[in-house]
Amino acid sequence: MSRRVAITGLGAFTSIGSNVGDFWAACREGCTAVQPIPAKWRDFVRCNSPVWSPLPADAGGDGLVSDIERTKLDRVAVIAMRTAGEALANAGFGIERIDTKHNRYAIRGVAPDRTGVSIGTGVGGVTSLLSNAAHHMLSKQVPRLDELAAALPTAAPGLETIGRMRADIMIPFRANPFIVSMLMPNAVSANVAIKFGIQGPAQTACSACASGTVALGAALQAVRSGAVDVAIAGGAEYLGDDYGIVYRGFDIARTLASRDDPALADDALNRPFDADRTGFLFSEGGCGILVLEDLEHARRRGAPVICELSAYAETCDGSSIMMIDAEGTQIVRMLHGLLAAAGLSPEDVDYVNAHGTGTKVNDDIEAAIIGRVFGSRPLVNSTKSLLGHTIGASGALGAIVAALSIRDGTTHVCRNLTTPIADLNFVRGEVRQPIRAAVAQSFAFGGHNAAVLLRAPS
Amino acid sequence: MNRGVDEGEVFRRVAAVIAQVLDVDESSVTMESDLVADLGADSIDRMTLVMALEDAFQQRVPEEHLPTLTTVGKTVNFITERLRAASASSP
Repeated sequence: MSRRVAITGLGAFTSIGSNVGDFWAACREGCTAVQPIPAKWRDFVRCNSPVWSPLPADAGGDGLVSDIERTKLDRVAVIAMRTAGEALANAGFGIERIDTKHNRYAIRGVAPDRTGVSIGTGVGGVTSLLSNAAHHMLSKQVPRLDELAAALPTAAPGLETIGRMRADIMIPFRANPFIVSMLMPNAVSANVAIKFGIQGPAQTACSACASGTVALGAALQAVRSGAVDVAIAGGAEYLGDDYGIVYRGFDIARTLASRDDPALADDALNRPFDADRTGFLFSEGGCGILVLEDLEHARRRGAPVICELSAYAETCDGSSIMMIDAEGTQIVRMLHGLLAAAGLSPEDVDYVNAHGTGTKVNDDIEAAIIGRVFGSRPLVNSTKSLLGHTIGASGALGAIVAALSIRDGTTHVCRNLTTPIADLNFVRGEVRQPIRAAVAQSFAFGGHNAAVLLRAPS
Repeated sequence: MNRGVDEGEVFRRVAAVIAQVLDVDESSVTMESDLVADLGADSIDRMTLVMALEDAFQQRVPEEHLPTLTTVGKTVNFITERLRAASASSP
């Protein structure tokens, strides 16, 4: 069985919009959300990148995930569940609460065992692990420091140092007994399945920055093969720990946007495909969810078809854990495979949603590959130029942008692109043109390369 | 000396949290209620309940006490004692 696969619903939670409508409107206006990194992070280490892209303060408010549930969940799972609910609603599926004790819902209009989940995440519930680790290591040090301070005479040398040590200890109220089920990456997909009573395959893709795209590929295959009729697919990430430990992991590797030019404002440091780029904008996280559905199933229930998800391809460089292959050989092979799977030629592709991190090496190689495979005709932009890098969510958010660009015949600018590094058709102002087919691609630590091809509904 | 902590008020607040976590009618919660046999709690519910009570009363429940909190009465007494101890130690 090989079925056509429609995208019938979208959901998004990002730093520039907490639902897909606001997100897309912000994209079209070229908005970004850049703030100085939390001052506390500078108490621990020297920080090279001065900025990040924080998420809206709270993802709650609709009752879909209660306060009691949140005590047992990493925020990445909360974000994923709420965004999945948004995508299902936008796909025209009714959801009905069937279990008040556990706050669980049923999706009306599709059988539970004909529905699947496929969500990617780079690090799962790592921030819960970090806060629990802080509690594990430091909770007994707080009273010991207090004892030490009390034993010293008033104004004794060292009291100020003890006070600083005390202030640096940020620990949660308790060690959470649910920590294992909070940190495991599969908790993201599992909690979405539990929330909506889904009984088909519930998979987790864990391929760093390509996770969301890989998850879309698995979901495409599940629907296309007939294993399920509907799949909730995408990517989710949450990276905002108290100490800035995740940020530091990227910053110490010098992958983040820095201020090499003192004249640049905070919101001008993130510059994918620009000659003056210095690295990517660290994002607190985000989520993008697409409802994939057998096209005939969607038509039978009169669902809106945004576009079709036509093909997926994946390769691995097989050469370095952090460096993209300089020749891009496996990325080129992936793109040719993608086009072949869709039955299209390069000239059929009108838009490429690039990985576009803004790092020196990545952008150089990606720009060369796009030129080599597609030439300089298709529109090219980087959604990371607006959001920063949401790691495991980024591929899904790029695919959402591609889907909406096809639907609306327009796409967003590649922000801060003053001096392009290649002669490509980068989006630098308002465009309005039919987009027949679009490619959204992701590359990841580990050498993972993944791409999806979306087409206008026929 | 109760140091300003009223056990009846603690019971009412505990009952409200139990009703919310276990999805039971608050009026069915009594001091004699067994969390498992009478109110239907499983082991996950009991851990969830303890966290909800910790948040509601801003009092830690050390994990070694969890097995002893089998009834509403034992839970109310434990929290009341913790609140009184906290009240006594505060300036």
